[in-house]
Amino acid sequence: MEVTLLVQAADESFTILEKARVRAVDLMNTAAKLTSETRWMEEKRVRAIFRGARESRAGLQNFVVTFVILFVFWALLSGKYDAFHLSLGVICTGVVAWMGHELIFHNVRAGDMRVIAWRFLKYIPWLFHEIVMSNFHVARLVLSPRLPIDPNLMRYRTKLESDTSMVTLANSITLTPGTITIAIENGEFIVHALDRKVADDLNAGAMEDQVAHIFMEADHIYIQDVLDVARIFAALR
Amino acid sequence: MIHRGEDIIIRTISRMLIPFIQLYGLYVIMHGHYSPGGGFQGGVILGASLILLLITHGYHDARSRVPERVLTVFSGVGVFIYAGTGFLCLVLMGNFLDYAMLAKILHTDAAHARSLGILSVEIGVGMAVMAVMVSIFLDISTGGVLPGEEEEKQKTAEEA
Repeated sequence: MEVTLLVQAADESFTILEKARVRAVDLMNTAAKLTSETRWMEEKRVRAIFRGARESRAGLQNFVVTFVILFVFWALLSGKYDAFHLSLGVICTGVVAWMGHELIFHNVRAGDMRVIAWRFLKYIPWLFHEIVMSNFHVARLVLSPRLPIDPNLMRYRTKLESDTSMVTLANSITLTPGTITIAIENGEFIVHALDRKVADDLNAGAMEDQVAHIFMEADHIYIQDVLDVARIFAALR
Repeated sequence: MIHRGEDIIIRTISRMLIPFIQLYGLYVIMHGHYSPGGGFQGGVILGASLILLLITHGYHDARSRVPERVLTVFSGVGVFIYAGTGFLCLVLMGNFLDYAMLAKILHTDAAHARSLGILSVEIGVGMAVMAVMVSIFLDISTGGVLPGEEEEKQKTAEEA
């Protein structure tokens, strides 16, 4: 009699315990689900805020730089510096800069602009030096009575990535006497060279390295990436 | 049908030059009463910059900048500004486009009113000419049917 009572009590307590366990597992699952959902949503929100902030910052900076450049252009054209014409200039420049700032600065990120501008300014004297040197070379070729030219078309595979840097390199090649860029096809330059020496100079790749350095391409690192990593590390600490 | 240009050099250089061309067009419009130029010439330069964008980037890439509806509105508004300035002078007891009558509204002397009246007429002419130039180019190059329109028509037909 007492034994059966004991067994019944044990059974009841086991069922109660089983129910409690199921309920606890349910609760824990819901809690985990809720936490992961909130964390996911939070992460998404923060990421969106960061991306939006970066894009709008880059857009604003591109707009301001475009506005300044275009306003200088307007002032040079206009030549009238009274309030009426300057305000007309501000309106016109604003409209054009608002419509066209991502045309001039396509895919330029916020931190990179200053670096690119500074390196580009430093590139101009270097390019001028190259032009003068190859000018002397081409003059020697033309003035010598034997005319020792060896015109050839060469294909030149580049390591540059973006349109802007490729066009900069192509125009630099064309500006340098003795070489002319005919076309760019799938990252391959078709270049006409006047003789072996200018072709070898181009193949040595000094100019390409300079352009890659300006636009931080091909095993150069982006300044903005370094800044981002530094900020993430600071936040973690 | 206008396709995207293949040449990277032409595409990139024209991309960078277009804002300067547009600003030059606006300069020609805004200084038409001091120097050679004016509404028609500046409008043609503006239209040419948009046509350059269409040729180099293709209609699909450039349609957000050059929507057909905005062109229609611009041509209408441009003509309205031009004719409105003229009729405003008529209403103020002058002849059609008699700018000196605008001095009553603008509270300035007749010379300054003439200058401002010519400026507003030139803005109107420039807007209309720009929009009509690009519209003519689009109509000729697409045969009257823009690339997006066919899809929209098919969609509405399917929905109906």
